[in-house]
Amino acid sequence: MKNIYKIKAGLLLCVMLIANSCKMDTVNLNAPTEADVLTTRAGIIGLSVGLRQYYSTNGIAASYFYPAVTGRELQGVATFTNVLELEAGGTQFPTANGSVLTLWANMQKLMSMSEDIIANAGNVSTLTGGTLSGIIAHAKLYKAIALGTLATSFEQSNIKTDRNGKATFVPRQAVLAEAIRLLNEAITELNVTPVSADFNTNVAGANFNLKDVIYAFNARYNLMAGNNTAAITNATAVNLSSKNQFGYSSVSVNPLWNTSAILKYYVPRAGFGLPASLFEAGDQREAFYITTTGSGSTATRTLKGFAAEQLGFVPVYLPDEMKLIRAEAILRSNGPLTDALNLINEVRTQTTGDIFGVNAGLPAYSGAVTKEALLVEVYRQRAAELYLTGQRVEDSRRFERPGPPTNTTERNRNFYPYPDQERIANPNTPADPAI
Amino acid sequence: MKKNQPFQVFRHSLFILFLSLFTVGSLYAQNTPYVIKGVVTDGRTSQPIPGVTIKISNKVIETSSNSNGSFEMRANVPAGKYELTFNFLGYTQKTASVELGSQNAITLNVTLSEDLVRLNEIVVTGTSVATSRKTLGNAIATVGAKDFANSNANSIDQALSGKISGAQITQNSGNPAGGISVRLRGTSTVVGAADPLYIIDGVIINNSSTELLDLGGYAQNRLVDINPADIESMEIIKGAAAAAIYGSRASNGVVQIFTKKGKEGKPAYSFSSTFKMSEVRKTLETNTYPFRFTNTVATDLSQVPVQRYDFQDDIFRTAAGTENNISVSGGGNGTQYFVSANYLFNQGIIDKSDFSRVGARARVDQRLNDWLKISAGMNYVLSSSHEIPNGGLNEAYGALTGFIFSNNFVNPAADPVTGVYPSTSAAAAQRTNPLEAINRFQFQQRTSRFIGNFQATATPVKGLSINYVLGYDNSNQIGTGYIPVGNTTPSYNAGYSRRADKTSFLLNNDLNVSYQTKLADWLESTTGIGGTAQSEKIFQSGITATQLGLIGQTTNNGVAIPSEFRSDINVMGAFIQQTFGIKEKIYLTGAARYDISSVFGESNRGQFYPKVSASYILSNEKFWSGQLSNVLSSVKLRASYGQAGNLTAIGAYDRYSSYIPVNSAGLPSVYSPILLGNAGIKPERQEEIEIGTDLSLFKGRLGVEFSYYKKEVKDLLLLANLTPSTGYSSQYINVGTMTNKGFELLVRGVPVLTDKVKWDVVATYSKNKNVVDNIPGGILTFPGGFGQVAAVNGYPLGTFHSTYFARNPDGSLLLTAGGLPQTEKVGRTGGQPSGAALRKVIGDPNPDWIGSLINEVTVGKFSFRAQLDGSFGGDVFNFTKRVGDRDLYGGLKGYEAELKGEVPKGYSAATFAIFENWIEDGSFVKMRELSVSYTFKPKFLKSGNMRLNLAGRNLFSIDNYSGYDPEVNAAGQSSAVRGFDFVEVPIPRQIILGFNVNF
Repeated sequence: MKNIYKIKAGLLLCVMLIANSCKMDTVNLNAPTEADVLTTRAGIIGLSVGLRQYYSTNGIAASYFYPAVTGRELQGVATFTNVLELEAGGTQFPTANGSVLTLWANMQKLMSMSEDIIANAGNVSTLTGGTLSGIIAHAKLYKAIALGTLATSFEQSNIKTDRNGKATFVPRQAVLAEAIRLLNEAITELNVTPVSADFNTNVAGANFNLKDVIYAFNARYNLMAGNNTAAITNATAVNLSSKNQFGYSSVSVNPLWNTSAILKYYVPRAGFGLPASLFEAGDQREAFYITTTGSGSTATRTLKGFAAEQLGFVPVYLPDEMKLIRAEAILRSNGPLTDALNLINEVRTQTTGDIFGVNAGLPAYSGAVTKEALLVEVYRQRAAELYLTGQRVEDSRRFERPGPPTNTTERNRNFYPYPDQERIANPNTPADPAI
Repeated sequence: MKKNQPFQVFRHSLFILFLSLFTVGSLYAQNTPYVIKGVVTDGRTSQPIPGVTIKISNKVIETSSNSNGSFEMRANVPAGKYELTFNFLGYTQKTASVELGSQNAITLNVTLSEDLVRLNEIVVTGTSVATSRKTLGNAIATVGAKDFANSNANSIDQALSGKISGAQITQNSGNPAGGISVRLRGTSTVVGAADPLYIIDGVIINNSSTELLDLGGYAQNRLVDINPADIESMEIIKGAAAAAIYGSRASNGVVQIFTKKGKEGKPAYSFSSTFKMSEVRKTLETNTYPFRFTNTVATDLSQVPVQRYDFQDDIFRTAAGTENNISVSGGGNGTQYFVSANYLFNQGIIDKSDFSRVGARARVDQRLNDWLKISAGMNYVLSSSHEIPNGGLNEAYGALTGFIFSNNFVNPAADPVTGVYPSTSAAAAQRTNPLEAINRFQFQQRTSRFIGNFQATATPVKGLSINYVLGYDNSNQIGTGYIPVGNTTPSYNAGYSRRADKTSFLLNNDLNVSYQTKLADWLESTTGIGGTAQSEKIFQSGITATQLGLIGQTTNNGVAIPSEFRSDINVMGAFIQQTFGIKEKIYLTGAARYDISSVFGESNRGQFYPKVSASYILSNEKFWSGQLSNVLSSVKLRASYGQAGNLTAIGAYDRYSSYIPVNSAGLPSVYSPILLGNAGIKPERQEEIEIGTDLSLFKGRLGVEFSYYKKEVKDLLLLANLTPSTGYSSQYINVGTMTNKGFELLVRGVPVLTDKVKWDVVATYSKNKNVVDNIPGGILTFPGGFGQVAAVNGYPLGTFHSTYFARNPDGSLLLTAGGLPQTEKVGRTGGQPSGAALRKVIGDPNPDWIGSLINEVTVGKFSFRAQLDGSFGGDVFNFTKRVGDRDLYGGLKGYEAELKGEVPKGYSAATFAIFENWIEDGSFVKMRELSVSYTFKPKFLKSGNMRLNLAGRNLFSIDNYSGYDPEVNAAGQSSAVRGFDFVEVPIPRQIILGFNVNF
């Protein structure tokens, strides 16, 4: 029976070896978990920076490019289904289009991250004062941007995300109203508790003045919503010498560069894709934004401007947009035509000194000084100045440019259909627009 | 219990274990040992059988017969009655009783009879002790070295093709180390790997298909590191009913592999060498029409003359290869050793591609005393390959990819002066010049791998057997890719360099104890218990650099983006299995296994897997006699039920929302991931019922194995698409169900059997029907098939789901005003389709049935062998033709009709969008193996023999498929995306000449 004893002991040894070699709670060293991010000071700060990182890469890679194909700023040239469908547009535009899904999903993600910060930052006891107010206002800014971008491309959207997949939808006017409400709240909060140095160092970083950016986007969305007075107020509040821009690194590259120089799905159209009547020869902004080689029907165009370099910065907004917002809001609210004209000419005649180098170098406006004519001129200036900033389709609709279904030369859709992936599981998804 | 107590016991036991290992031998020495001598011969041919294993019952003493069939066993045991078992693969095991008394020298001559239909084989997989197949309640397939000796397969899985029923074995790529998928009784998972668990000598081995480089979808599976020449035998169990005691990792089935081990006696040498030649079996018909359209305007039919080229002439080549194996084995005094070395080099049929494998293996078995033996094995392999990317699911730098997207009126040759390769594709859809991909790009993979095992087996008292295995499989894979600056790729004109590494550490500890006893005259009992602890650690990193400088190939020459992933998975499990044998007629087995795994959250970590089975050997009944037993010599009915899981379907951390850290212009940041975590995720679970019968007819000349099975996977894991308004895109959820129902038949017959001639026939037939259900939203598409492949409720996994022809009520095509076919859409406006395009299931890659037919005729010294493999009723998505037939590219014959005016201009662009047009029947019958061999005893060998071989693999294929090969799959070893042909390298035709010497 000695054997048995030894065997028992041997068995025990094996069992011990086994027991010692196995841990059941293995730690993921690759990435932080939700708890790591949402319940700690470092996590909330990191996610706040992440909002900007996400928007300035994944966000604008979708919102600047896909609607630009629809709005004829770009021509889709790759033979991938998504690109072909965007280029074709029209009533038969598939609800399964992958680009529209990406645009929709990326904005939803931006919204959900913003909401996570708004809901959790206050619970982290070490976030206080101007750091907390800055973080909350910053999150509200990005939620507003998500909403405003959705309202640019969709007739309706949700104004908050829902983990259960049953988000409810409201018309785009209400979506814009929510974006404006958030921005107004953010301004109020920042007026009460200005951002701290800590916020500026660890969240905003260089080249990002939170308050100016909030005013700028508030001006943009108020204009879209038709609140001309508020648009003027906010646009005027922006410090035009404040240079706000997104920065990049080799691990987080400039998405404009990546899409145009690496993916090469799209190329710029001649004259910003404007009808010949609206493009003004000699506009220096064309050469700023686009490299053209050859001429006529054999000309090839590639994006330049802010898409030229892998690590090149991208403006958060262009200061001249504020002038054009003011001009348009003045015209739409039947204000003094000369005020509008002066603002337009400031943009037209700029030859140097634009902080981002977007100089039109055109002569002063010489056409009819009427509300209608000047509005057309504002549209023309916006199309050139704000080339490829995700605003063309919205502008084209707001300025009542010829549109589908009767005319698809300036845009091939008014709004996108809702992506299949939303509709499949969310019964609240509204009917798709006809065009 | 006090905390320090286990530790003291631990130390104590450690001491005793060492003591027992090194001293026990002498303690148990007896007086003069008994010497049992004899000769083992074949009952049919009366020839001696070398290599028969002879064991004495319940002791670890064993020996084997030498080349003259004679054996000598020295047994240092007390007097008494003993049983000697004689075992050799392909023969029925024989047991002989010996009375060891006063006589110390005993002679025992034995004749063994061939187990022609193999129903009496001894198996160990899924059982607690080595058991005759007769007693099992489930089907088990066995494949011996002899079965694939002439197959010239590169890898074990390739060698298995056609040899067993219930297995669909597909070579996904014709590259020299092309990946292979093995599906046992259909696919049992969607998100995980669907290949079985492979165990070699007790070591759970890594068979991952990691794509360190994007080679277009093709990836090697790591079984390619294992040399088939080292394999003695394999046992395959196909579903949960049999595999339950392998628990959480067994839902795709288990393949247990046993390597060759030494036999006591003089050193035995074996050397083999082959020369292989490979060539492409069939190339695509290219467009040879000497004109092209001037432009793409539909109404402008003007053409300009062009010269057309067949790029394939420069892409494919006749490839050569060689394989050499050497082994030495032998032993004495309780030691057995086997050492082998092998070198394989095989060129691919795509120019400049090749694969080489150098390996060495050693195994030592040491008997320490009459109840304890240990064994250690080690295998080192270095596998390397030069790769040419093809396919192109994500990247567009492949050679065949470039070919299919090219305008074949451009001469692809490099400029003779500058050496610069011209772009061969239209600017709007730029792809790589295929010759540049072959001649300038450098893609390589290397794997350094060490597999080792330590085993100890003890049989301390009668009926009790204890086995411990420590297994480890460590490998390091390195992939490097380089595309020089200034090239024709669409995306990497500024150069591309990649280096990726994967280091895997797999470790398993297994302890199994079994006890076999007779409870009564009529009642046998076998009890098995076992425990396992397994760990899998993976360290993977990759660096991709673009915007390179000149000439330097490494990633430091450009703007580099690194990535890294570390994973740590631990599993512990234990099982108990009990078998009762009643009157040697009825065998009942029940088993239970419990696993805990670190992949899942606390509440779902523990999983229980039960199993029951029964077998009834009807022919052992008394009434089974006379005429009946002459015709139907053996009849067994069996039924079993079991459950198994799939632990590795998801990654180590997939249950978490893993935020993505990134430095944003100098500030540390994180953003939320696409994948939403799911704390409640649990392993999918397969439940299988299997019933079947094994019959042996005409005195063992005809054997039939039939099984019907139904496998249901519950809690099927799916990477479900989330509603984007959740803020996330996808999540792993246990939501779907999947069933596999089918039956399999294996017939083994020996129509001619004389002392000189033997004709063996093996036929297999397997039919499986897979259905997926309960998918949220009813449909889930897979990215590996460009979104055209999906799981659709009520259909088999991986159906082709896409656009189809608009048709008139009478079934004819509804054409556009311009006379072109068009896709069906939601509505009709003015009689024409309008609205969004509709999609439906347009094809199914899963075959209705697969089968194989093997004929082997041995006439004296000659042996002829032919194996046909067939697959029927599966569709192939011919993406290759879809691209090549289109006007923009137009390199294939299909575009000629448009140029000749036989169809309207724009026809190919119209059909390009109608995916139904590109589904083809992928049924085939292939001449998988054909060989003739001549075995003789040359004069220069005193003993031993030599064999000359001439063989062919995949010599021809009978099919109606218009592409290269209906068998390959551009999505590699993907579980869900199958039958997807997108310029994947076809499986070559091979001619192999070789010889083999044993002495």
